Amino acid sequence: MSIESLKLLGDWDIWKQLLEGMLVTVELTVSLLGVGLVLGVIVALGQVYGPRPIAMLMSAYERFFRAMPILVLLIVLNYGIAFAADIYNVSWLRLPTFAVAVMAFGLHSSAYQSQIFRGAILAIKPGQLLAARALGMTRLQTMRYIVLPQALRLAIPGWSNEYSGVLKDTSFVFAIGVTELTRKGWQIIQNTREVFLVFIVIALIYLLLTYLGTWLLELAERFWGVPGLTGQRREEHGRVI
Amino acid sequence: MRAIIRWVVVVGVLALALGIGGLAPQAQTQVFKVCSDIAWPPFEWVDAKGEFVGFDLDVMRIIAILKGYKITIQNLGFDSIIPAVQAGQCDIGASGFTITEERKKVVDFSDPYWESNQSVLVRADSGLNIITAFKAGNKIGAQRGTTGAQWVEDNVINQGIKVELKLYETYPLAEQDLINKQIQAVVEDEPAAKVAVKASKGVLKIVGIIMTEEQFGFLVRKGDPLKLLPRINDGMKEMKKKGIWNNLVEAYFGVDVNLERITQCWADLKGWLDKNQPEAYAENLAACMAGESYKKP
Repeated sequence: MSIESLKLLGDWDIWKQLLEGMLVTVELTVSLLGVGLVLGVIVALGQVYGPRPIAMLMSAYERFFRAMPILVLLIVLNYGIAFAADIYNVSWLRLPTFAVAVMAFGLHSSAYQSQIFRGAILAIKPGQLLAARALGMTRLQTMRYIVLPQALRLAIPGWSNEYSGVLKDTSFVFAIGVTELTRKGWQIIQNTREVFLVFIVIALIYLLLTYLGTWLLELAERFWGVPGLTGQRREEHGRVI
Repeated sequence: MRAIIRWVVVVGVLALALGIGGLAPQAQTQVFKVCSDIAWPPFEWVDAKGEFVGFDLDVMRIIAILKGYKITIQNLGFDSIIPAVQAGQCDIGASGFTITEERKKVVDFSDPYWESNQSVLVRADSGLNIITAFKAGNKIGAQRGTTGAQWVEDNVINQGIKVELKLYETYPLAEQDLINKQIQAVVEDEPAAKVAVKASKGVLKIVGIIMTEEQFGFLVRKGDPLKLLPRINDGMKEMKKKGIWNNLVEAYFGVDVNLERITQCWADLKGWLDKNQPEAYAENLAACMAGESYKKP
């Protein structure tokens, strides 16, 4: 790398490619977190409130997907689904690779997210549930109106950790042929041969994305914050110590 | 309370929609997926604007025009292409694949379209020759899954010479490591090695050619269930008959060719392909790549 190579930073074509890659990374991250969120909440509820067989099933699910390296999961699903589509000759199973990536990452993330939610659910004092039941709420109503609204709020800090983790893991998807930010970098250095410079820029983009995402989640935490439950705890802790 | 739950539902639905969005109904004309490791000029690489260019890809695009089907091109790691073709994730592998007996066991090849030898790249200032490049203790670079890597395994390492074979994701990375003095030599196909020498502006040189006489072919799934091979073979014959083939060879492998021109040439000339006029495309591409005057569509 020389001073001259910095001229590269003025090249709009390179930025355009990086932005395209960034867009894929962001789309993938948002989609997989969404899939993981829905499944994760279901698994957490099942683990805490489900009858024994369901709780055990959910735990088995969670252990399984937490044990799978994401790269292995990507490859198994990608080729596995194609194989199934083939022998049973079902054309709709020929999923686009992006969908396979969302599925693999979504399953993986749901296992991690379920533990975030499980922790958040267990943080709610059982007394509240007793009170709700005493007021005549059904079990479902108790979950819906007492547990979930509080647990989802309590889960935001842990969830923001999950966000910053999976954002970077998405670079694995090139193994099945989705070109995201990191891969765009490989492509750009084919022409420019500026490995160091290009990857410094990519590092900064990841930093920016992490910063932006966690900042938005912090805003969400404040926006939906409930006095006495979230947010104010920081001040309370500060006052004591 | 409700807002947060509604928010969760919205995000979930959006995510599912994004994920499944690609399941749109199939178009009427047949569309085949061509997979290629687009990191190997002049056969396939990504130009400065991020477009997929190169000899293999142009051959694929032109055959598709001549035979009346459509293609999409997917960039995939070289060593993932054959498994993807076997699984039906890709319909055609077009990535400068050498036809080997091993590979023939798992996929079917088209007629050979190119002959190539392996060449040995070193740094010009290293003073190494084709013998000393493979001295015990040296590090030799190659791309994972290529015949170049296989050659080093078979003819150097398995002969008891203790070199270290370093495998890379793509050849440009191996070349970069060679320039950075991390390894002593790179073994890769001749046309690509020539491009690397040019791109390095004299830092790298070819010290020798290994006459492996490899033949490249396009590959499809074993048994060719989509009946692609007759179309590909026929298409190549038609290209040769119409002079398209020679022009493409001239465009990518000619002596006066500067591969950096491709960004401009592709941007100006791809319209010919959109107009289904491959002859005009190839003729003007050859002129453009050699720096001569050419006609835009």
